[in-house]
Amino acid sequence: MSDQRVSQYPSLLRSEQMSLVQLYVPIDQAHSVVEELAELQRVQFKDLNPDVNPFQRTYVSQIRRCDEAERRLRFLTQQITAQAIPIRPFEDTVALLAGRSGPQALEELDTRLAESEQRVAAMNGSYESLEKRALELEEARQVLRETDVFFSEATSRTQEIRSSFDEPSAPLLGDVEAGAGAGESGFGGGFELEFVAGTIDRARMATFERVLWRVLRGNLYMNYAEIDDSALPVPTSVAGDSAGGEEKKLRKNAFIIFAHGQDLLDKIRKIAESMGATLFPIDSNADKREEKLREVTSRIEDLNSVLYNTNQTRRAELAKIGESISAWWAVVLKEKVVYTTLNLWQWDQGRKTLVAEGWVPTRDIPTVQAALRRASENAGTSVSAILHELRTHKDPPTFHRTNKFTDAFQSIIDAYGVASYQEVNPGLFTVITFPFLFAVMFGDIGHGIVMMLSALTLILIENKFKKGTGNEIFDTFFYGRYIIFLMGLFAIFTGFMYNDIFSLSLHLAKSQFRWPTDFEKGTVVEAIQTAARYPFGIDPAWHGTDNALIFTNSLKMKMSVVIGVIHMSFAICLQVLNHLHFKKPELIWAEFLPQILFMESIFGYLIGCIVYKWSVDWEAVGRNPPNLLNMLIKLFLSPGNVDPDDQLYPGQAGVQVFLLLLALVCVPWMLCTKPYLLYREHQKIVEQGYHGIGSTSNQNGGGLLSGDEGESDGEGHGVVAEEMDEEHEFDMGEHVIHQVIHTIEFCLGCISNTASYLRLWALSLAHAQLSEVLWSMTLDKAFAMEGIAGIIFTFLMFSMWFTLTVAILIVMEGLSAFLHALRLHWVEFNGKFYGGAGTAFTPLTFDGCDEIPEGVL
Amino acid sequence: MEALFFNSHGGYLEGIVRGFKAGLITQTQYNNLTQCESLDDFRMQLSATDYGNFLANETPPISTSTIAEKATQKLVDEFNYIKSNSVQPLTKFLDYMTYAYMIDNVVLLISGTLHERDTHDLLERCHPLGTFDTMPALCVATNVEELYSTVLVETPLAPYFRDCLSAQDLDELNIEIIRNTLYKAYLEDFHSFVLSLGAPTSDVMSPILSFEADRRALNITINSFGTSLSKDQRAKLFPSLGRLYPEGAFALAKADDVDQVKVVLDGVVEYRGFLEGQTGPGGAGAAGAEGATGQQAASLEDHFFQYEVGLNKLAFLQQFQYGVFYSFFKLKEQEIRSLTWIAECIAQNAKDRINDYIPTF
Repeated sequence: MSDQRVSQYPSLLRSEQMSLVQLYVPIDQAHSVVEELAELQRVQFKDLNPDVNPFQRTYVSQIRRCDEAERRLRFLTQQITAQAIPIRPFEDTVALLAGRSGPQALEELDTRLAESEQRVAAMNGSYESLEKRALELEEARQVLRETDVFFSEATSRTQEIRSSFDEPSAPLLGDVEAGAGAGESGFGGGFELEFVAGTIDRARMATFERVLWRVLRGNLYMNYAEIDDSALPVPTSVAGDSAGGEEKKLRKNAFIIFAHGQDLLDKIRKIAESMGATLFPIDSNADKREEKLREVTSRIEDLNSVLYNTNQTRRAELAKIGESISAWWAVVLKEKVVYTTLNLWQWDQGRKTLVAEGWVPTRDIPTVQAALRRASENAGTSVSAILHELRTHKDPPTFHRTNKFTDAFQSIIDAYGVASYQEVNPGLFTVITFPFLFAVMFGDIGHGIVMMLSALTLILIENKFKKGTGNEIFDTFFYGRYIIFLMGLFAIFTGFMYNDIFSLSLHLAKSQFRWPTDFEKGTVVEAIQTAARYPFGIDPAWHGTDNALIFTNSLKMKMSVVIGVIHMSFAICLQVLNHLHFKKPELIWAEFLPQILFMESIFGYLIGCIVYKWSVDWEAVGRNPPNLLNMLIKLFLSPGNVDPDDQLYPGQAGVQVFLLLLALVCVPWMLCTKPYLLYREHQKIVEQGYHGIGSTSNQNGGGLLSGDEGESDGEGHGVVAEEMDEEHEFDMGEHVIHQVIHTIEFCLGCISNTASYLRLWALSLAHAQLSEVLWSMTLDKAFAMEGIAGIIFTFLMFSMWFTLTVAILIVMEGLSAFLHALRLHWVEFNGKFYGGAGTAFTPLTFDGCDEIPEGVL
Repeated sequence: MEALFFNSHGGYLEGIVRGFKAGLITQTQYNNLTQCESLDDFRMQLSATDYGNFLANETPPISTSTIAEKATQKLVDEFNYIKSNSVQPLTKFLDYMTYAYMIDNVVLLISGTLHERDTHDLLERCHPLGTFDTMPALCVATNVEELYSTVLVETPLAPYFRDCLSAQDLDELNIEIIRNTLYKAYLEDFHSFVLSLGAPTSDVMSPILSFEADRRALNITINSFGTSLSKDQRAKLFPSLGRLYPEGAFALAKADDVDQVKVVLDGVVEYRGFLEGQTGPGGAGAAGAEGATGQQAASLEDHFFQYEVGLNKLAFLQQFQYGVFYSFFKLKEQEIRSLTWIAECIAQNAKDRINDYIPTF
């Protein structure tokens, strides 16, 4: 950490310089300090008590209190949502919190929550018991009704019943008949046969019947009817269980069982009860039943009005809670964050101050100090917390200061790997190279404009969606709106270069070619070259010609290679910045130089040839232009021989032999130098008699403050651990193997990666062809028609063309081009220089505390 | 061949169950749990494990029974998840696992009814894995014949029950006989099913089931001393498998006191010392429950549990077999027992015995 100077402006090229700071916080301020720092979002605290169990930490009782409050809040929130009472959003309730936070607020809240919970729970209890009563009465009413039907059927149609009972499996029927026959007159008034009536869950009906049949050996007559679903009120306890969203209904059957003898009836009752059935005393006398029904109905009405009143009071209570519950949530969640953070801190011996350690961006130390002063003012004390920087050899976390524009680009890189501390961050270059490479594959003015405009819309209305919409797909696009915007802009640019607008071409200037005016139909016409030159991009005269594809293919293929080699060479050059920054200049000649020479001597030469070949007027030379692919192959296979017909320029053979030798030399150069350097460095240390721990801990000691024991202990451990790691790690064989792999990977990678950039050509070709096909299959056909039919057809075809353009060419092709651009950045570009072995900086924050957690609602 | 196609039908579930297994509470977590001062600490400590927030919505003070209940609920959920995703023959295998719980439930209900307990209470105490539709009707049965013909005839237990039909009245002894006869038939049936599944599964499951059989036999023998159970009857209850079968079982049937049982046990290396009060635990994977309290003689039951845990842990060393499913749920059950024990010790402030739990992994 020799370079303590912080450049004036934050940049995206390297991650922020971080400092390990130590805070001494008086206990009475600790709470407000954490609050201020969490608002600031610039400190990442380390756990200073890693060996202490979570429940043995200092602030565990407060955390438990928060948990308890959270449980109550969850309960209340569920109650509120179950009643479909609106919850006021946090933004509106934030005023309720004014000036009230911290332990006192929690305390106050705790009692309020306990009271509310108790009240709501009590109301729930009484409501539920009332509901249960109501359900029972309703069931009783249904049973009365259904049994009434049985009885009346029995009286009016005894004869029919008798005949329908004539089955051998029902021995009881004889009794029924006998009974009915004997007391024909009494059938209307007193029913001789004893019976049990009640209701049971419809799903259990079959089992119930089966068991009864077996237990009573068939000595029963059972009748049942389904109770209408809507007739029964659904108790909240049951309705609450149905998370599926679909309204739950009680499906029950009313049954009546006739049997003979007290024993059997007892058995029936017992079985019915254990199967969860509800039994009701029913009188066989019709008048009594009538009376009972009236009584039950009137009681149901009474109960319903009581129920309604109870519910109203409960709703009022819950509505009152709903007014401020989001603010309560915020308080509790924030307090929990605060105490969890405090648990990471260490008590000093005197129990007067807390010691905290954490990472802060060096640039932000003044801001943090200001926050500490604010905190002490808030807490009403004069002594503010003390902050001082520590020197350390630990790897600091990586923190890139992004804004809403660069954030999405940076996350593309972070998805590959978080940069090592202060290494060159490809995210900076990605801002331009990513949309550019995308656009090379997506070049079309029209599609680019559609894409840019839609992204622009998102950008203009971005304030509306700051919090996200909850729609995952939309949120993803919204997050990448600036990427999409730039992709659209670049696509317009490349569209001009390719001269493609919805697969057609623009005639912005005079073409280089002129079509002959007199020609026979059906013959191939050859364009005449003129002195004019089309100033920008591809000449529109190529559009629709027979050899257009041959021309654009050759052009785009070469262009992809040129772009690719430049892109990769740039990536290799970025190594220099890393080597210089990490004070390893020897790696410039040990690693960077052979790599860039290898790359340039083969592929740099190739793109030189490409450009040279473009610049020569081969018609004037009077022979066929040489094939560059063959040239490259022969460069390897028969070095030193160039066929005079294929010669690009005089002296080609000698140059090529030189380049090939240069490339070959680079391989052992790469292979040997780095392990040798490492070995020499190690030998130097050993010769000087150091055993690792010496030099560094001396340096370290100088930076430490002597007063703090805990810290110096901690530091000491850190240093020892680190040194032991290094000591342990030095193994020549391992380094050699690593370097062999690295070298092979680089050399093969150069070839395969260059080939990989051909995807630029392939995708742009596919895109152009696809849009052309779409055009000729839809709108082009419609334009060929005339009259009314033509108008209608055009109308229909346009809608079809436009939908397909958006869905396939812009969205789907766009996604595929995006994916390929992503790959080119991750594999081809990052692979050349990017370590990506860092850990991200995760500062203390209250993010997410403003919202009610998702699972609750 | 078994391995070739195993993953196409059982691979996913095996992965799931091995994942579940990785979530079993480790020794370090047990150590942390035993240091808890109160059940609130206990809950907080558990929330750091695979159990997560399963107690978060409980109103304090939480009781030990709530913890056990919720933990069992988690086990049942996991079992049902596995079962609903399984195909034959794994489904059948899992079905077999539930039969043991069914037997327990049946016996619980019958004996409860015999003592005229409230049916609903009894139903609540039944293990949820062993429930079946007609279970509530058990409470009306007053004799064995009725029991069979009204309720059990349509359950999978019916074939096991046929041997019990000779017993007449439902009294304490007969219920025990029924339980053990059922269990014997069940173990034999399960064992033959496992053998029919072929190599890797039977290799793993056979020792486990054999041990289960031996445990039954030992328990029957020791518990029958001083009761009216005749030696002939006793011999009939022994399952016809296990390390002790047949010579050991024969000797057990003749045994008159614990010392004779001990002699029988000495014949099997692994079981040696189960009945020695002072010696350490036998068995391969059993370790360290008696670490803190050396004077407390580990009971026979503890030895059984430890040995069982060891066997079940071995099941995870083999792939392409169903033993892992059985073993995981047995281990999980043991874990719940241990958790309940620790929670109970915390609740009753019996810190000196808190280390008598049986750790799994």
